[in-house]
Amino acid sequence: MPETATQERQAAVADPGAAVTAEQRLRAHVETLERRLRKRDDQRRAMLHIMGDLSEFNKRLANQRKAMLHVLADYEQDRRRLARQTERLDSSRRALLHILQDSHQDKLRLEASRKAMIHIMGDLRETTAEMQRREQELRDKQEQLVQAGKLATLGELTTGVAHELNNPLNNIGLFVGNAVDLIELAVTEKGQIVRELGHAMQQVSKATEIISHLRTFGRAAPVSREPISLRQVIERALSLMREQLRLREIEVTVDLGPEEPVVLGNAIQLEQVFINLLTNARDAVAEAPRKAIRILGSTGSGAVEVSLADSGHGIPPGLERRIFDPFFTTKEVGKGTGLGLSITYGIINEHGGTISVVSPPGEGATFLIHLPLAPAETEETSR
Amino acid sequence: MTTTLSVLIVDDDPALLQALPQALRLRMGGVTVETAESAAAALERIAVQDYDAIVTDIKMPGMDGLALLAEIRTRRPDTPTLIITGHGENELVVRALRGGACDFIQKPIDRGYFVAALYRAIWAHVQNRKAKDRQLALESCAEELERIVQKLEGEPRAVPGRAES
Repeated sequence: MPETATQERQAAVADPGAAVTAEQRLRAHVETLERRLRKRDDQRRAMLHIMGDLSEFNKRLANQRKAMLHVLADYEQDRRRLARQTERLDSSRRALLHILQDSHQDKLRLEASRKAMIHIMGDLRETTAEMQRREQELRDKQEQLVQAGKLATLGELTTGVAHELNNPLNNIGLFVGNAVDLIELAVTEKGQIVRELGHAMQQVSKATEIISHLRTFGRAAPVSREPISLRQVIERALSLMREQLRLREIEVTVDLGPEEPVVLGNAIQLEQVFINLLTNARDAVAEAPRKAIRILGSTGSGAVEVSLADSGHGIPPGLERRIFDPFFTTKEVGKGTGLGLSITYGIINEHGGTISVVSPPGEGATFLIHLPLAPAETEETSR
Repeated sequence: MTTTLSVLIVDDDPALLQALPQALRLRMGGVTVETAESAAAALERIAVQDYDAIVTDIKMPGMDGLALLAEIRTRRPDTPTLIITGHGENELVVRALRGGACDFIQKPIDRGYFVAALYRAIWAHVQNRKAKDRQLALESCAEELERIVQKLEGEPRAVPGRAES
């Protein structure tokens, strides 16, 4: 351009007309230059702005870097922590592996045990069957023994019972004889004859009662279980023994308390228990200065406790254990069978109860019977 | 024999104490029968009255028939005592007879036998008493005789000729 301008100025000098045109052209150049200058100025200002922004941005970046550094530090910490946890997890995993191995071994052992158990169970089943058979056998034998014992008891009771039966029979003979005499004497008053016969009837029913009781007692009835009143059982046993006890002047006291104990069992068997115990007590007090038998009862929750104490000389120490053994007797040969207490023991056992004896030195013996009460609903139905 | 006999029956069975006295009243006219329910009661009775006979059961609570018999033998040795025993109690019967019972009656009681035994006992008792009375009379006669004999011996041959006559 300067060359051009020079050329134009040369041309303008050479040619004035051409100078004007050159001036115009130059002016146009200046204007263009100015315009460009202004543009450049704008651009420079824009650049300055951009630079400022850039510096700002740079600052922010620096801050972010710092923050980033913090984050990195945190991250490093986390990483370390994680590494530690990983280590711990690893050891746990190893321990778990061990445990798993152990459990596997245990499982094997268990399996072996299970197999052994199955064998044992088989054996047990066989043994149980055998046991059940033996138990049944034992129960049958026990029943036979109870029956034999009953008959033995009846035998022992015979003397007393004969006396008891002889009295009403004798009285019947006398009353009827009196009636016959009155008729033969032609006594017109009927009342007197009827009175004699009435007395005879009373004696007949007394004898009948004794006989029917003996028959019930001796009968080999199937052993049934039903709710029965213990008070009644004791009273019936006493009624069979009363004459013997009365003649021997043995004072009998019975106190079962205000309750009415009802047990699930067999009335005749339980009656036999008390007859056996009363017979024992009767013989125990035979030589004692004071002859007394005391029957006490107390009913608790679910069970009744009955004690039968005598005022005899007690049981010699060391014999308490053997006293319930079959055929064990301290009586003379022919006086006792040695079965009474063993049968008593068996009966009480079968009723789910217990019997024991205490005999403190210098005192009489006390038999303690513990029997479970009948369940409440059974008791209800029996009423 | 006295006209009104009195008998005491001892037994612990109240029914027997009803039946037996009635039988005696029917079979032995005019007899007075009293009863006692125990040996102790019987002893109270015999302390105040002398019975012609006592009938007692042998088996009784408390004092039994044998013990009562022994008591009667000391307190009223002359009163005949009969014992009632059960059938077949032979040992007791022997003990009772040795103890001084004059007879025994077995249960069941045969009324005819019982009444006869009672009569016999009372009769024997009466005879006994008569015999004793006579013996006493005889003894006093004998004593009298002895006295007379002594007296006669004290007069030495006062009338010798009389002895020869």
